[in-house]
Amino acid sequence: MTVLRTLNLVRIYQNGGVPVPAVRGVDFAVEAGEFVAIMGPSGSGKSTLVHMLGGLDVRTSGEIWLDGKRVDTLSESAWAVLRRKKIGFVFQFYNLVTNMTVADNVELPALLAGMSPREARERREYLLGELSLTERAFAAPAELSGGEQQRVALARALANGPRLLLADEPTGNLDSRNTRDVLKLLGEVHRQGQTVVVVTHDAKVASKADRVVTLADGMIVDDASMRRRRLPPGTAGDVVELRG
Amino acid sequence: MVAEWRWIRADLLARRAQVALTVLAVAGIVAALVTAATLLEEGTNPWRGLFTRGHGAHVWIHTKDAPDVAELRGLTGVTEIAGPYVSAPATLAAGGRKVPVALQEAPAVPPKVATPLMTEGRWLDPADPGGVVVERSFATATGLRPGSAFTVTGLDGATHALFVKGVAESGDQGFYPDWAPGLAWTLRQTLSTVEPAPGRSENVTGLRLADPEDTNLVVQRSVTVLAGQVQRVATWREVRASMELDNRLLGLLLALFGAAGLVGAALALANATGGRVLGQLRDLATLKSLGFTPRQVSAMLLAEHGLLGLLGILIGLAAGHVITAATLRVPPSPGQLAAIGLGTILIVLVAVLLPAWRGGRTAPIPAAPAVPPHGRLSRLARLALLVRLPPALVLGTRDAFTRRTPAVLTSAGLAVPMMMITIGLGCWATLDDFTANPAKVGQAAALSVRPGDLGAGEARLRAMADPAVLAAYPGVELDALVPWQTRTVRTRALGSSTAPYPFHVIEGRMFRERGEAVAGQGLLDLLSIRIGDRVRLTVGGTPLIVHIVGRVIEPEQDGEVLSFGIDTLAAKDAVPPHFYALVLKDGADAREVRARLLGSDRGLEVTQTVNPADRLAVIRVIIVALVVVLALIGLTTLLTASALGLRDHRRDLAVLQAMGLTPRQVMATLVTGTGILAVLGVLSGAAAGALLSRALIDWEGHGSGVGAGIGRAPTPATLAAAVLIAVGACLLVALIPARRAARARVPVTAG
Repeated sequence: MTVLRTLNLVRIYQNGGVPVPAVRGVDFAVEAGEFVAIMGPSGSGKSTLVHMLGGLDVRTSGEIWLDGKRVDTLSESAWAVLRRKKIGFVFQFYNLVTNMTVADNVELPALLAGMSPREARERREYLLGELSLTERAFAAPAELSGGEQQRVALARALANGPRLLLADEPTGNLDSRNTRDVLKLLGEVHRQGQTVVVVTHDAKVASKADRVVTLADGMIVDDASMRRRRLPPGTAGDVVELRG
Repeated sequence: MVAEWRWIRADLLARRAQVALTVLAVAGIVAALVTAATLLEEGTNPWRGLFTRGHGAHVWIHTKDAPDVAELRGLTGVTEIAGPYVSAPATLAAGGRKVPVALQEAPAVPPKVATPLMTEGRWLDPADPGGVVVERSFATATGLRPGSAFTVTGLDGATHALFVKGVAESGDQGFYPDWAPGLAWTLRQTLSTVEPAPGRSENVTGLRLADPEDTNLVVQRSVTVLAGQVQRVATWREVRASMELDNRLLGLLLALFGAAGLVGAALALANATGGRVLGQLRDLATLKSLGFTPRQVSAMLLAEHGLLGLLGILIGLAAGHVITAATLRVPPSPGQLAAIGLGTILIVLVAVLLPAWRGGRTAPIPAAPAVPPHGRLSRLARLALLVRLPPALVLGTRDAFTRRTPAVLTSAGLAVPMMMITIGLGCWATLDDFTANPAKVGQAAALSVRPGDLGAGEARLRAMADPAVLAAYPGVELDALVPWQTRTVRTRALGSSTAPYPFHVIEGRMFRERGEAVAGQGLLDLLSIRIGDRVRLTVGGTPLIVHIVGRVIEPEQDGEVLSFGIDTLAAKDAVPPHFYALVLKDGADAREVRARLLGSDRGLEVTQTVNPADRLAVIRVIIVALVVVLALIGLTTLLTASALGLRDHRRDLAVLQAMGLTPRQVMATLVTGTGILAVLGVLSGAAAGALLSRALIDWEGHGSGVGAGIGRAPTPATLAAAVLIAVGACLLVALIPARRAARARVPVTAG
């Protein structure tokens, strides 16, 4: 089942009256339970694309379909309501709400989605437990290491069990040990059936993905499924499949 | 809702000091407003204060015989009863004058209801039956003080020697001479001596009501109950009306300060909220990425900052209540409290609305940390560095203007309070000028002499005999009817056309001939006339046409006074003069001259002119309070600016340090960044205030009827001192966080 589909998605910024295209006609689809990595050099439009997929940025033209519904025409408020239930975001700079404790940060989306405070607390306890952060529940974000902060951000993104987890350079600000931990977590949630789209520079991250989409100058130049590589040798999977 | 409250709580807890300061600033302004309004009311209408303090009676019933107290007590709405007290008319003789007085019985222990409030001396004592307590305004008018001896003559013609044991105020009767006869409290036994025949005295009974609005109903009922015994009834409304002092100038000045305080509060709040929102943009973006709608974010900010404002208002109202109750011994009226509360709530909402809306419009992409737009070094800055101006100064100046809107807001946030402080100082200077040059406010004569029992000519001779008296102008004050007006205006004939009284003419010229007159602004406005017009009026039944040739500063009667030479009046009205206005020689002390004129048993009635500055004295208290509150507002603005500056430059600091700037230079950069905006704000505010204060006070003078021409700008020395203090305080406030920041070790790579 297709969770996400884009049709000829275009984003053009205006810079002092000069149009600067960031995304130039992207068509791609993400199936349920898929782990997609979007790669590409700086300025290739990766972040813009993932922001548009989550409704944080508006498209100039094209279509976005989420769970079989067209969403690119939604208003900012409608996008916000949609994000509560269906989309979880993880950012490069963690973006925990600075004045709230770890526990509050994780409970906030749950409360926002209409869970009762008790349910939200139970969900938070479960998630922090899964991510080995139980003892840091009442710490302020500033007291946490980068890796811990990113784990909290992940817990927050998963608080409502979203259909789609969007991560923008989730390991871009982490050392190798923390990168490994976060990747392990991403792998685990993916194994539990979570659909994940990750924007990354990091080949290690891409290696965890089922599929790697490569962007250059705002266009998809490569869309490679990695799953078949794990198939026994001697089959057609030896050849990397290229799609337009 | 839970999510929003969770965030609000977290945000409030994260910045307790800032929250406390905001609440304090709002509370300070509200408390100052409440106090000012109560002071104004107390100054212009002392009734409520006197009535509250003395636990007065709302209705006074005068009956021939003692009424049935039980029946009156039984009336619905009546809570307490004062009296009945026996009251007898008599004639009081003191200092060669005889005036009617009402002697009223009072218990040896001050009563619980309608308590006379002692201002001097002691209360009645059965051991001292000759001692009476005199009502204050009556005592002032008759020159009685504790210990003064006087005689009273009863209706039977017998004269009794009494003395003043004490002086007391009361909210149960208006002030003498508006409310006559004067009042004196005596013991029952003293009263029986003066007026032994019960038939010639009356009984007064006071009723205190649960709800003052029931007055009319209670009066009707008591008249019915006491069937035919009631001679007359006086209610609190009449007493209040008689005590009301119409002082539009005071009211207008107060309204001006009130408005200024509110504008200042709005700016401080808008600044604090705006600064906070700007500092939180990244968090707000994160919230939106989590699924907060723009409307939710705006509502959340509005609720958070609005609640702080509301809390400040509540604390301010409570504090105002406590302050006025403690210092003035009278709580503010509920109507005023409600008006101030509602007004400030409105201001708070307006002030918070814009930043909240802006917060709601934040783009939901939180990835990029909020960094100020990077400005380039201007040509001027490069030149400044080239000529080796201290780099800290140049960098700080550049930083100050990196964010244009907050820079303007900060400067304006300081300029407005500073402007109001300067205007307040202008008001102060104006009052000082009133006192220093009473001639400029139409009060060249410090004393006024009424002939009393003497002939007018004799009175003039005696007054002129005093070495300090320079001139004595004969005067008559009469009410005149003006066509098309349902009311009368005051006309004042003073001096003659050939030797006119030295009025302070602001526009036009002094009257020189018979039939010419000068008028106050209030009169010109009332009759919609201009200088050069002719006015027809009726004075004492005689028609009179006068030509208005000039406008004078007129502090009396809200400026609704027409002044001309005494020879303009018909002889029957002008002779003999009612009084002489005495102009004293320079340096003569009016009080001493008055004492001399009064003291030598010359039978003269001498009154000292009340300077308008004395009547406006309450403004000085308000100016001081206002300066304190405005300073608090400025402080809030400055702290916001300083915090914002630090936030913007956290990364720059590390870079500056890496470039080789010493901590002291870094600190200087930060102080310059905030300080330059502060100095700009203070200077422009002071300049605007100095330019405006004169015009504004004149405008107020015009509106109040006194007339334009009274306004003074603060003296250069005062202004310089105010600016220096303000700038010094600003730099000091900017220095503390800058010092801390400059010493902190910030890694260059901090995100």
